[in-house]
Amino acid sequence: MTIAEVQPLSKLKPARDDGARLGFRLTLPAQLLVLFIAVFPLLMQLYISLTDWSPLSGASWPQAWQFWNSFANYSDLISDNRLWSALGRTLFIIAICVPIEFLLGLGLATLFVDDFPGKRVAYSILIAPMMVVPAVAGYMFFMLFQSGGPVNDILSWFTPDPVAIAWLSDRHLALVAVMVTDIWQWTPLMFLILLAGLVGVPSDQLKAAALLGASPWQRFRTIVIPRMKTIIIIALAIRVIECFKIFDTLFIMTGGGPGVATETISVYIYKVTTNDLIWGYVAAIALAILIVLSIGAVWAMKRLAR
Amino acid sequence: MSAIKLEHLVKRFGAFTALKTMDLSITDGEFMALLGPSGCGKSTTMNIIAGMETPTEGRILFGDRDMTGVPMGRRGVGFVFQNFAIFTHMTVRRNLDYGLRMTGRPTAEIARRTNAMAELLGLTALLDRPAQGLSVNILQRLAIGRSAVMEPAIFLLDEPLSNVDAAFRAVMRTELKSLQRQFRQTMVYVTHDQLEAMTMADRIAVMDHGVLQQVGTPLEVYNTPANTFVARFIGSPGMNLFTGKLTQTDAGLAVDLGPLGISPPLAPATASAAKRANGDVVYGFRPEEVTLAQPGEPALALPLNLTERIGARTILHLGTPQAEVRAVFQSGTAIPAGILRLAPAPAAVRLFDAGSGAALQVA
Repeated sequence: MTIAEVQPLSKLKPARDDGARLGFRLTLPAQLLVLFIAVFPLLMQLYISLTDWSPLSGASWPQAWQFWNSFANYSDLISDNRLWSALGRTLFIIAICVPIEFLLGLGLATLFVDDFPGKRVAYSILIAPMMVVPAVAGYMFFMLFQSGGPVNDILSWFTPDPVAIAWLSDRHLALVAVMVTDIWQWTPLMFLILLAGLVGVPSDQLKAAALLGASPWQRFRTIVIPRMKTIIIIALAIRVIECFKIFDTLFIMTGGGPGVATETISVYIYKVTTNDLIWGYVAAIALAILIVLSIGAVWAMKRLAR
Repeated sequence: MSAIKLEHLVKRFGAFTALKTMDLSITDGEFMALLGPSGCGKSTTMNIIAGMETPTEGRILFGDRDMTGVPMGRRGVGFVFQNFAIFTHMTVRRNLDYGLRMTGRPTAEIARRTNAMAELLGLTALLDRPAQGLSVNILQRLAIGRSAVMEPAIFLLDEPLSNVDAAFRAVMRTELKSLQRQFRQTMVYVTHDQLEAMTMADRIAVMDHGVLQQVGTPLEVYNTPANTFVARFIGSPGMNLFTGKLTQTDAGLAVDLGPLGISPPLAPATASAAKRANGDVVYGFRPEEVTLAQPGEPALALPLNLTERIGARTILHLGTPQAEVRAVFQSGTAIPAGILRLAPAPAAVRLFDAGSGAALQVA
């Protein structure tokens, strides 16, 4: 005898419905926890961003309403030139680094699809930078780019006079040094993801295309790239998001300097938080960036889905 | 000129020899089937013709042109892959006109030739559908059309029908043959299915273990197999083969088949060929070429083990497990139970050298 037989007919529901509701009830505590973890900090941030509260004000954060300033933080934000130039600088770094990392990674991955002697060793060396802790990488490049450092020594081999460029104290060169470091550290990730994509391109389709008279470049454009589209999008998305948050290597190498020459969004927020201690304003910046980024991400996803 | 000539082709993969000194001439407009069990080197031969593999030794000529070093894209051969290799991220039209687009033909010509090919293969209604998710039978036509639209003088097909269902295979066999008649290309067709080879090919090249065993028309290969491998491989079921000693009987020269008894006397022509044997011979006859012996007629007396009725024909399994004989009769034939007396048609008996396996040719 099944349960349905002993229940009154009016209470009968399809079994699948019951199962779904039971499942919802059973996972409810976990769902609430996740919701709390995700939503609570956002709400707290929104609350603080509407006040002039700071940890030095003597009140704990729930009492921040005492420093209520309506939307003053948000209107300050619009006229904050330092913020806008930090944002511009971050976007500039993304626009230069991510394409270079992508092209280098794709080129290397193309080489690694075929076998060659010493491939395994080359492979290990190639992905090593990714394993280096970013702070350590920052110190490595900090030392490499010293005016008496190895970079200048190597350049000196090609010039009649010894080179003594002060890389990290020059406004433009510091930015170059920081971007070189980022490219060094993150090209391997691009390489790995794109290699996985390249290996997944069916070889008989490439052969079929070749037999139909397609040149290597035509095969790359008509077979390899369309087949790898998803992987390429994922690789680019990961790097754009990560690069937007660039901090550790950069902060150790230049601390955002000289002046504000290498100050990115993360470095700026860090400085406002730890040096200026105006937390209400920091919360407003962070929330504004989150909203803008979310809108951007949704827009990009919709475009790509088409 | 689209004749193909393979000269002393050798292909080694490391220590493994896939192809041992292959010589083969395929004439212009001929339909040649490369037939053999898996691993016999037929696909390797095909890949070398297409340029996907480089031979370790030897040359490939198309007409008088040496193509050995020519890369695969410049050989102008059509190739149909076993798994079709359809570009699933494109539409049917983009697949069909791929080669024309890549080689930079004028737009009007591309459209005209693509539409004509789609019409011929019955793909017109599907032209704007994505190739992803189409049935195997459609993909198969598309794969053939994609190569055929380039109008190659040489068309290579690598087991193109092994993935499609049996009913469609029968249709495609006739279609492929009529396509080839229409375009007069030289076709090389790799298969392990002798039915495909027998029905479509002008000539069959039978291969085994990287060695070309015999080249001939389907009937030549069936009637006068060059050796015991071809005899056993061609025909369904293959030829009955038993090793025995030549013995002189009252009625003439015969073969002592040991446990199966002494064979009926050999026909005079076969007997004269038998004289060329050094030592033991292999006595062979086709399962289809036997009759039930009349009383008094010389015959092999064999116990009947199993009867397979497959519609028009009945296959009998006779003899002992060590020496199994198969015989095929029309299904109407009355088959007595117990011991059957079987007489191979004297003219259909083939003798092979027991040592080399080569046929002892009837002069």
